[in-house]
Amino acid sequence: MLFFIGQVLPYIAAAVFVIGTCLRVAVWLKAPVPFPLTLFPAANTNTGRMLLIGREILFFDSLRRGDKWLWLWAWLLHISLVFIIIGHIAGIYYLTKQFTLIGFSAETSSVLSGWLGTIFGMVFLAALLVLFYRRLTIPEVKRLSDPADYFILGLLLAIVVTGMYMRLASDVDLPAVRAFMAGLFTLHPVPIPKHWVFISHFALVNILLLYFPFSKLIHMVGIIINRAMITELPPVYPPRRVNPTQGSNRSISLGEGGCRL
Amino acid sequence: MKVKPPMYIAKQSDVEALGFSFTPEVQQKAKALEKMAELRSKMRSLMVMLETCTKCGNCAKQCHSFLGTEDYYNFPAARAELFRRIYKRYFTLSGKIFGRFAGAEDFTEETLGKWLTYYYQCNECRRCARFCPFGIDTAEITIIARHILSELGIMPKFMQGVAANMAKTGNNMGIPKAAVIDSAEFMESEMREETGLDIKIPVDKPNSNVLYIPSSADFFTNVDTMIGAAKMFHVLGTNWTIPSSVLEAANFGLLFDFNVMQEHNRRLKVATAELGASLVIQGECGHGWRAAKMYTNALNGPVPFRLLHIHEFCDEHLAKLPLKKLPIRVTLHDPCNYARAGGIIEQPRRILRACVAELVEMTPNREDTFCCGGGSGILMDEMFDIRMKLGKKKAEQIKAVGNIDYLVIPCSICKAQLPAVLKYYGMDKLEMGGLMDIVGKALDIKKT
Repeated sequence: MLFFIGQVLPYIAAAVFVIGTCLRVAVWLKAPVPFPLTLFPAANTNTGRMLLIGREILFFDSLRRGDKWLWLWAWLLHISLVFIIIGHIAGIYYLTKQFTLIGFSAETSSVLSGWLGTIFGMVFLAALLVLFYRRLTIPEVKRLSDPADYFILGLLLAIVVTGMYMRLASDVDLPAVRAFMAGLFTLHPVPIPKHWVFISHFALVNILLLYFPFSKLIHMVGIIINRAMITELPPVYPPRRVNPTQGSNRSISLGEGGCRL
Repeated sequence: MKVKPPMYIAKQSDVEALGFSFTPEVQQKAKALEKMAELRSKMRSLMVMLETCTKCGNCAKQCHSFLGTEDYYNFPAARAELFRRIYKRYFTLSGKIFGRFAGAEDFTEETLGKWLTYYYQCNECRRCARFCPFGIDTAEITIIARHILSELGIMPKFMQGVAANMAKTGNNMGIPKAAVIDSAEFMESEMREETGLDIKIPVDKPNSNVLYIPSSADFFTNVDTMIGAAKMFHVLGTNWTIPSSVLEAANFGLLFDFNVMQEHNRRLKVATAELGASLVIQGECGHGWRAAKMYTNALNGPVPFRLLHIHEFCDEHLAKLPLKKLPIRVTLHDPCNYARAGGIIEQPRRILRACVAELVEMTPNREDTFCCGGGSGILMDEMFDIRMKLGKKKAEQIKAVGNIDYLVIPCSICKAQLPAVLKYYGMDKLEMGGLMDIVGKALDIKKT
């Protein structure tokens, strides 16, 4: 069993995550966009479009316009997740000594690493709980929610709780974890460290990766493609230049009688 | 269909007369799924918008339809779920495997009834898209769901009637050319009486540079809008005409069927070529403007003419118009299809500032505007009660502005919906009308 979790599952999970996500997005991109869906006020240049999309991805502009509280917690959730992922990579690779690279002493770096990890972990946990509470207490949102929505929240909560437990209450052998991860990445997998909280944390993350391409977590890519559609440059009449992908050359038939769109 | 929708449904014979094939009830499921599969591969928007929603619920409070009716299925995400659940069940792996757990649902005999009910309580105003963190546009899903219903031969009687009129006469009200000329002459004599000038409203005049596509209501109920436009064209010396084959800017195809939309655009292209125009100006109609601007090139391109909205044209020539400010205080309602779907946001404001003493803004305004509740062709008498609920948010907004002399509602659908809404909510004393009406009144062109 430990062999499966430590040396087989991670490869399956990584493959499903990467291939599944790419396939799903490829299917989206294969379908054409027959009409410009520009939402005004629109950008008039591609740089302007990119700015609009970038602001949405980094700051969640539209969400902030609508609901400040939801925005705050959703933004904190995502931003803390980004730092947690970066922290995992740096902290494990450098064994918490990553801040020596910018001039701190080894002890300060470990303390800093520990504090930052704890802070972002707590923020992530708090944000998950707030969003969970929100999902349960707003009647129309509760009615809209499916088991899958709670499943993702539960899965993330379990991941963050096991992670925080390792950080605060138990002594996980970081060099052993590093050796294990290095084995995975260099395709020479070694047995997983026998630390039950680490094993559960690791297994849960693998389940998340396995589930990712089939779940609403795909919104991570969906936001870019969707935003690209609704920030499309507005059409100009008569068109400045004939775009071969536009106009009568778009061979899409929507009608019964095969009317060409 | 088990659910009884709140509107009359078109009869099979009438639907077939329009060229739609009517699908018997036993085949509805198969045909609907087939259509979904087809549209899915042809429209990226459908797939991405259905698969990206995280159900955060931010759209609930942004939708006038949900706020007004307080009906769960009018909450944009829940409305989209009526489609999304079926889609998940038959077109996504998670839905096929996990079923109800992942929010997938079987297509049942209630499905289409619910679609007909709730996709016709969405005004396609796109306010949810404005506030959705992913930019999911429920209007897009509404448009596609209505298109599928139409392809199955299921449509409101109102839509069928409009389509039949459009096919016969080129306008939604079924006005014959003789009546149009009659009405134009009446308006010309009105203007002669008022200004002493010989201002024309030319219909089908060959060798015209400009084709003006009004709203057909401008010939009868909203004559002041037409008079305003005619006065402006007169002052600017524009060589213009109205084509009797396309008397209506509104393109009802956008509201229920892509093929009908394409046919309307085709007529517009033919009329432009026949009358020799190089510029097409669209009158005061919200979704007509969206259909013309956003869909003509894609559906019927390439388009050889320039296309402007009358507000863009008026704004371009504002300096040349002899305007005298009217001593009134007005507020502007931004029609949803101008602000969010058509980019007409600042032009009407510049025009108004030149025409009236004071312009006060509603909150929210511009691209955050609430819809009047009549958009997307649901101006059916039998839906009056629902329409009043859909207009509730707008009424509250107008009430909050306080004391004004005139409400500018520069879209034919708003012009039909808002007087009823304001009467319903106790503001029947308020005068309202189009923007070109104001321009017409502010133009100082009396013969001396």
